[in-house]
Amino acid sequence: MIELPYNAEVRPDTGVTSQQLGMWLFLASEVMLFGALFSSYALLRGGAMSWPDQSSLVNLPLAAVNTVVLIVSSVAILRARTRVRIGDIAGFRRAMAATVVLGLVFLAIKGVEYAGELGEGLRPSTSNFLGLYFVMTSLHALHVAIGVKVNAYLAWPGASRWAREPARFTGRVEAAALYWNFIDIIWILMFITLYVI
Amino acid sequence: MFRKYLFSVDHKIIGLQYALTSLVFLLVGFMLALVFRWQLAYPGAPIPIVGSLFGDLNAPGGIMLPEFYNQLVAMHGTIMVFLAVVPLSVGTFGNYLVPLQIGATDMAFPRLNMSSYWLYAAGGVVMVASFFVPGGAANSGWTSYPPLADIATTGQTFWLVGMFLLILSSLFGSINMITTIVQLRAPGLTWFRLPFFVWAQLVTAFLLLLAFPPLQGAAILQAADRLVGTSFFLPSGLVVSGQVVDRAGGGSPLLWQHLFWFLAHPEVYVLILPAMGIVAEIIANNTRKPLWGYRVMVYGVCFLGFMSFTVWAHHMFITGMGTVISAFFQTTTMIISIPSVMVLTALVLSLYGGSIRFNPPMAFALAFLPMFGIGGLTGLPLGLAASDIPLHDTMYVVGHFHYVVAPGTIFALLAGIYYWYPKATGRMMNTTLGWIHFAGSFVCMNIIFLPMFVLGLAGVNRRLYDGGMQYAHVQDVLHFNVWMSHAAFCLALFQLPFIVNVFVSLRFGRRVGANPWQATTLEWTAAPSPPIAHGNFDVVPVVYREAYDYSVPGADNDFLPQNRTATP
Repeated sequence: MIELPYNAEVRPDTGVTSQQLGMWLFLASEVMLFGALFSSYALLRGGAMSWPDQSSLVNLPLAAVNTVVLIVSSVAILRARTRVRIGDIAGFRRAMAATVVLGLVFLAIKGVEYAGELGEGLRPSTSNFLGLYFVMTSLHALHVAIGVKVNAYLAWPGASRWAREPARFTGRVEAAALYWNFIDIIWILMFITLYVI
Repeated sequence: MFRKYLFSVDHKIIGLQYALTSLVFLLVGFMLALVFRWQLAYPGAPIPIVGSLFGDLNAPGGIMLPEFYNQLVAMHGTIMVFLAVVPLSVGTFGNYLVPLQIGATDMAFPRLNMSSYWLYAAGGVVMVASFFVPGGAANSGWTSYPPLADIATTGQTFWLVGMFLLILSSLFGSINMITTIVQLRAPGLTWFRLPFFVWAQLVTAFLLLLAFPPLQGAAILQAADRLVGTSFFLPSGLVVSGQVVDRAGGGSPLLWQHLFWFLAHPEVYVLILPAMGIVAEIIANNTRKPLWGYRVMVYGVCFLGFMSFTVWAHHMFITGMGTVISAFFQTTTMIISIPSVMVLTALVLSLYGGSIRFNPPMAFALAFLPMFGIGGLTGLPLGLAASDIPLHDTMYVVGHFHYVVAPGTIFALLAGIYYWYPKATGRMMNTTLGWIHFAGSFVCMNIIFLPMFVLGLAGVNRRLYDGGMQYAHVQDVLHFNVWMSHAAFCLALFQLPFIVNVFVSLRFGRRVGANPWQATTLEWTAAPSPPIAHGNFDVVPVVYREAYDYSVPGADNDFLPQNRTATP
């Protein structure tokens, strides 16, 4: 494999690394993906004859707990990023492990939520609100699951790469942190849209 | 072996994989069209030669059933757009040429590049497999409008899965392309020294990046409608075959149209911009002078990319969306025609005063100009609500976009194949066969598509499986269908010299050096033909001048390579 320049080091005239630019571009496309779903929500709700009282159908308290869990995990991954930047690999591992655990807690709570709703006989087909709720939150949960997998890889097997290629590994952690913060923001928007209003 | 040819991470091998696959799909899509062209010319007559292959479910006794006709048309559109033209223009030309033209050793993310190709291949397999499921392939048109698509046969689910994979593929590809162009330009290759082709690919990549995800979202919603019984696109009280559909309802079929066209209008520019880039390269090279208005073309193509996100609802004028919104979208549509005309005019003016070399790539590139011109200008009446309403869904629309894509984009892509073939293989393609291919294709294409405008203006709807037999008011024009279909069959024959040429020249073509066309851009001047397997160049080139330094006064040659230092 060829070594490509500016993968992990900043190109002077553009001011970014390829890793950073690639992740920002990916997130731009994610904005369009979730943007399409939020727009669909707005259009369907705006055009609906009647819309159910959302918070009576979904589990607002659990989702609120989940919001806190995800925000704390976002802080944790930022700490992991800081640690790896200063070369404290043990500290990085601790913070990244915390991020992974909190991500798993989020998914577990989400599973409990789904189980509750399905137990009450609520299905995606029941109404367009529930349809959007299931589609949007499960797509988000899929993103969380992918994030957990990547973070777990970086925390354990991947961290051995730090010794060999510190710049590239740090770049990967930064990209993972960007992604994780992004899905946190998406969740906050979903929490407001699907649970609160 | 696997690593070298099958799961290669080298952008050139991946480009060639894309080339082979997308050319096969181009042929498949074309053959589907030939089958339904027979039906349009001779409605109800048994299909000759291949008729018995389709089975009793599709064509009993070789006579095509309406359902099968719908499958053929839907899959012709889908295959041509998503599996043939986009992978050929972006996957093949973009992947192969952009790193070479910017002096990079590979794409920015080689492994991501490989996964792009394999996701595309998987999407293609799913699409083709859909012909063999009960009910056959998707049959709701390439636009997959609900509620029809929501209640269609299993093939539609395959279509959605296939689209999901294809979108993922082009998403990864576009991230790779933008990062490559931004980060891996050779030293000295500033933005305004980039070949126009690279600019076209950059804007195309942004369109792919930002326009495709909404369709991915829409595909997820339609899949939910089909598989878990939601009703995002199903209105309340929908009646199918006399039965009220047992769904919650409350959905909006128009939501799909918005999401689909938000993708599919930028998609139109994804089809055309790389073609413009190819044509610009070939014209500059064969007129032996710099492009006229290079900067105007660059600004034009960037503006075009931006505006293409604001015009999607001109596909929806007959949905009853109100005059204010119609006025907005027809205004943006008229505005977007300005940069298209700018680029085309610059290309035409580039010819003026040039000492033009005529060869097959130049012939295809020159033919692109009037063909795309016809396609573009016939689009104007479709962009204005008042004239679109009678023309909507007629053969006129089919003629319009086929002029843009078939003798437009596909001619440009063929020009590109003839032009860069020596770079990829080290051998020239045969010129005589090239001229036969060009002349035959040019005549046949026009006989196929020009009458479509006449049919459309006479009021022939585009979705009739018998071509409009039962309508009294179109009887006078239906005889054109026979001509068009025969021209289509001839067009198929005229592709044989091309296919033969591609394979035979591989072995027997004239051997050439690095720069047979005496071009200025880096892929010719800094890399051997074919370029070095991993790494492209002997030494990474340094760029000292603009992309098209042809016929510089006082120079010792009529072309000055971008990586040449001494000023003449």
